[in-house]
Amino acid sequence: MEWLAGVLFLSVIVLLLAGFPVAFTLGGTALIFAALGIAAGAFNEALLTGLPNRIFGIMSNATLLAVPLFVFMGVTLERARIAERLLDTLSRLFGNLGGGLGISVTLVGMLLAASTGIVGATVVTMGLLSLPTMLKRGYSPSVAAGTICAAGTLGQIIPPSIILVMLGDVMTSAYQQAQLDMGIFSPKTVAVGDLFAGALLPGLLLVVLYMLYILAVAIVRPEAMPPYRRKSGERVSHAELLKAALPPLALVFAVLGAILAGLATPTEAAGVGGMGALLLALARGELDLARLREITRATLRISSMVFLILIGASLFSLVFRGYGGDDAVHAVLKGLPGGAFGAMLAVMIAMFLLGFVLDFIEITFVVVPIVAPVLLAMGLDPVWLGVMIAVNLQTSFLTPPFGFALFYLRGVAPATLPTEAIYRGVLPFVGIQLLALILLALLPQLATWLPGAIYGR
Amino acid sequence: MRQAAASAIDRLSRLFGHVTAWLTLAMVVVTASVVVLRYAFDTGFIWLQESVTWMHAAVFMLGAAYTLQVDGHVRVDVFYRRFGPRRRALIDLTGVILFLLPMTAFLAWSAWDFVAASWSLKEASRESGGLAYPMIPLLKSILLVMPLTLALQGLAVALRATAVLRHPGPRAAAR
Repeated sequence: MEWLAGVLFLSVIVLLLAGFPVAFTLGGTALIFAALGIAAGAFNEALLTGLPNRIFGIMSNATLLAVPLFVFMGVTLERARIAERLLDTLSRLFGNLGGGLGISVTLVGMLLAASTGIVGATVVTMGLLSLPTMLKRGYSPSVAAGTICAAGTLGQIIPPSIILVMLGDVMTSAYQQAQLDMGIFSPKTVAVGDLFAGALLPGLLLVVLYMLYILAVAIVRPEAMPPYRRKSGERVSHAELLKAALPPLALVFAVLGAILAGLATPTEAAGVGGMGALLLALARGELDLARLREITRATLRISSMVFLILIGASLFSLVFRGYGGDDAVHAVLKGLPGGAFGAMLAVMIAMFLLGFVLDFIEITFVVVPIVAPVLLAMGLDPVWLGVMIAVNLQTSFLTPPFGFALFYLRGVAPATLPTEAIYRGVLPFVGIQLLALILLALLPQLATWLPGAIYGR
Repeated sequence: MRQAAASAIDRLSRLFGHVTAWLTLAMVVVTASVVVLRYAFDTGFIWLQESVTWMHAAVFMLGAAYTLQVDGHVRVDVFYRRFGPRRRALIDLTGVILFLLPMTAFLAWSAWDFVAASWSLKEASRESGGLAYPMIPLLKSILLVMPLTLALQGLAVALRATAVLRHPGPRAAAR
């Protein structure tokens, strides 16, 4: 009955494209397949009785508890216009430098990491925030669009993104399962903190590569990224820079530092970070009851959206596994030529293609639990695998013509900005992403060194 | 009449969501307090930590209907957002009938025994110093409340969609 698992998977992909909310399409399609299977005697209905327990497991999952707290922190920073002011100050600071605005956009994209982790939302935020300014200052539309798309997806791989929290949770159980399958009964563990540490250097590498590219363009084609001549009275004083940049930077570094130094769990750090963001907003006079209400409601909506997908995905994977889908995928991956390398390459290509239709959350909850255990059982490092998946998906979201980020930027860009300009502008960034993927593949230490040095893994 | 029912459900979901949303603030405050208590006063309460988990579960489970009402559940909208209102309504109606209602019905049906067992066992936290008796069964009961509120809101979405489908828009009428 393994072929039915394949049909289920393909059906879900096709039905998702109709546009009904993902959580219910995942769960509903799986239920229909289960019902048909039970009626035909091809599916063991006892498999479904574990569902309430699984959902209760999601409700009491201590790792995923960090998600709403990080979302709260990110939403607060966004609604209190802290990111906006940072971008404004940075762009004035770097303004007289060719490509200075592009660099500011990249840096702010990096800091938005904690914000949402939903590709669309960050790209839209960045687009609304910076596209009009870039165009007004004479940036070439394609360069501006490419920079925004790339900066908007950057946040996913930079800790403390909620994507890494979710990926970390999935990796934890996949790693345990892989070791049990290998006959190791005192399994080593991998935690969200490991993934944060592992993603830090590759994330910063991407930031540096982006900035080098922007500087190169500014030197080779100065007309594409003209420096901005400050009017008198627009000079940035040190005090102003410190006021705009230091508090949010300090907050993000404190949260990250506390986790990496082992002083706090990601959940605790996220709670303190949320509190810090609130105090920061309060100190800036950007917090009143109406805004606090907005922040709590936005946090609720994003959390509910994420966790409902997880519930739908649980139902899906119960049925997928019930039809023997997991075993079939494992058999296929093990049968590929080239051992771990062949399997990894196949998974990476599959995920890249799936990234055209599915967002990060769905891939993390639906696809990773199926493929990760077998890859890890082949001896791959869980942190490295997690980082590879994150960079790979980020690339997928940027690749024309289907990349998610491009659609969302298209949605907020003025009609005078041709779609081809977006495609042209983003291509060099796709090249940078591929370069980073190859570097990571050749030098896994880029991802594994820091967690090893910190946690002695 | 139907639209009045849909609006009433909308109001209920919104009220539920707006009240639940404040729990996110409480989560932040309590989590930060737990850290401060540990580092500054070297003390901690298990029930306080458990209450964050409890609130977290309440937030995303009880907020699900409100999130549906404001269309906050993410869609793969590559095609959907280019569709006109009638085609969107058709997709929403079909989705509710085919996916949402069966899923919520199944969630509630399968959770019934699970929740009932927790009440009859008078389940309390397994950690000493954890949440006391009615809290854990109450938390598990969310497994029944969530499908109920979500199905109700799904019904409102479906009612709205039928209204769109019944009354052809000016463009459809002109064709």
